[in-house]
Amino acid sequence: MPAQLAVGASLVLMSAVLAVGASRFPAEKGFTVLGAHVYPYAVAVFLGIVGVSISLQAAGLRSPADVSDGITGAIPGGKAGALWVTAGLTICALLIAHIGFVLAAALLFACSAQGFGSRHPARNLAIGIALALPVYWLFTIGLGVSLPPLVNAWI
Amino acid sequence: MPEIFSSLATGFTTALAPINLLCGFIGCLLGTAIGVLPGIGPALTIALLLPITAKVDPTGALIMFAGIYYGAQFGGSTTSILLNTPGESASMVTALEGNSMARNGRAGPALATAAIGSFVAGTIATVLLTLFAPVIANAALKFGPAEYFAILVLAFTTVSTVLGSSTLRGLASLGLGLAIGLIGLDSLSGVARYTWGVPELIDGIEVVLVAVGLFAVGEALYGVLYQGEETGSRHRLTSVWMTRADWKRSIPAWLRGTLIGFPFGSIPAGGAEIPTFLSYSTERRLSKHPEEFAANKGEGAIEGVAGPEAANNASATGSLVPLLTLGIPTSATAAILLAAFQNYNLQPGPLLFQTSGELVWALVASLYIGNTILLILNLPLVGIWVKLLRIPRPYLNAGILVFATIGVYGMRQSSFDLLLMLAIGWLGVLMRRLDFPIAPVIVGMLLGPMAEKQLRNALSISQGDWLVFVTQPISASLLALTLLVLIAPPLLHARGIRLQEHD
Repeated sequence: MPAQLAVGASLVLMSAVLAVGASRFPAEKGFTVLGAHVYPYAVAVFLGIVGVSISLQAAGLRSPADVSDGITGAIPGGKAGALWVTAGLTICALLIAHIGFVLAAALLFACSAQGFGSRHPARNLAIGIALALPVYWLFTIGLGVSLPPLVNAWI
Repeated sequence: MPEIFSSLATGFTTALAPINLLCGFIGCLLGTAIGVLPGIGPALTIALLLPITAKVDPTGALIMFAGIYYGAQFGGSTTSILLNTPGESASMVTALEGNSMARNGRAGPALATAAIGSFVAGTIATVLLTLFAPVIANAALKFGPAEYFAILVLAFTTVSTVLGSSTLRGLASLGLGLAIGLIGLDSLSGVARYTWGVPELIDGIEVVLVAVGLFAVGEALYGVLYQGEETGSRHRLTSVWMTRADWKRSIPAWLRGTLIGFPFGSIPAGGAEIPTFLSYSTERRLSKHPEEFAANKGEGAIEGVAGPEAANNASATGSLVPLLTLGIPTSATAAILLAAFQNYNLQPGPLLFQTSGELVWALVASLYIGNTILLILNLPLVGIWVKLLRIPRPYLNAGILVFATIGVYGMRQSSFDLLLMLAIGWLGVLMRRLDFPIAPVIVGMLLGPMAEKQLRNALSISQGDWLVFVTQPISASLLALTLLVLIAPPLLHARGIRLQEHD
């Protein structure tokens, strides 16, 4: 099965990356018996073996049973939905420090809701703000979490 | 023995203090609510609430977290039975059997057996915890780095071999977790490993970030891509009383479920799915009414709900054993609880019983109290929990992502962390799609660095002598056990006995 073969190959690749990286660590050991490179090498070897085994299994045997949750039917979002959600998270991540938590979270909420199938962007944005504001107060003032404000401590 | 009882009694007086009782109550309430809601689980919730450790004293906070842990299971079974929407994967079996019962008009007894069974299992498991934990903690005082390393190696093997669909995939997930755990500054030698010049990676990747990314973001994305509309149907709540026959069939199932769940909870077996599936197949095999099981196209057998629910709860309590006595978390939620302890500068392990004995015993006492609260809370309030699910799914999922953002951003105020969380979320989607288990990643991430540290300490002390692992008796027996775990499944397999849920 091609997907599994790809997984096996990427594991081997990861193993190689780990090994190459480990070979570059300075070898001076100081007080330790095992340098910083030993364990990474071990993990690299482990990953390499697992990667090769998975590739072999993929190439040799029949494909594993298809994963199915038993829930079929219309996908509310599908690929477009996933893109909306990803966009929402990305926007929030990039803008949160600039426009403050409340607005960034509201944007995230609206984009995600869009991705999950809701088709009322303006309403979602409003709900997003209505949700983000009290949550912001709860976490910043109530719990002392440091979330970026837009204007002052309250918004 | 008598000291155990007196310590427990003191624990009760602390746990029953009004403020702690309130914390426990809030925890149970919150836990049940999130157990009902799909997509958000106890691990994520506790991670979000970690900031309260700055304001609330440790006893109260830990009692609340424990309440959330248990409450989530109660909530999950309620929705599984009534709406066929398991709140988490371990409730899948309950959904199968319990919803069958509900569709045939027996929702009440299904709920009752789930609630009472969880209470019975939780209480028995807590008794076992009470008896075993001090013993293990005492034994662990003699543990040196070699012994800890041997335990961790054992943990790695149990995670990978006693697992869902494929040992090889479990190992792959574990390997991924180990690799992620390598990122960061090496504490012993000061070498920055695999950071590639990115400053945010110097401290390594936080467990909470990976957990939130895989579970919250990954779940949300997976839901968007692959799941169809909810087809859950509501069932009217009939009388909650169980008949005598129900009791007769449930009680042995509860006991068996507890005995299966507790040991599996205390080893890193990658989640509560194993004990619940195992309990289900045991009940199916032992039942005098096999035709009633939903898997056999029946109307739903009560043992099929009683056993797995008990196993689920017992395994949650079981996971507290290695956490409290050895400081080794065996599930994602246990990992976050460990983080909570560390926020208070408390290190779970054998010393915890010595230095903060009152806290530990108050926590244990709160488990008993929490179980009772949950039993009383759940059955009458079922209607309310079900109403929670009326929130439209898009808003629910979007809200979960907002909370995930708070949880991750609140840790280090880093946008990089948020983007990383997104990337990990996509990784989670890939893993789920390709049927790679997720729990071993978290275990690998946490236990990998621990294992390396112990390995190096052991070798430092023994001055480079590798034989120390087999010459020390405890370490040697643990390694022997590891070998046993590795070769037992293929041997059993050859004899036709399977440990996995696919029959």
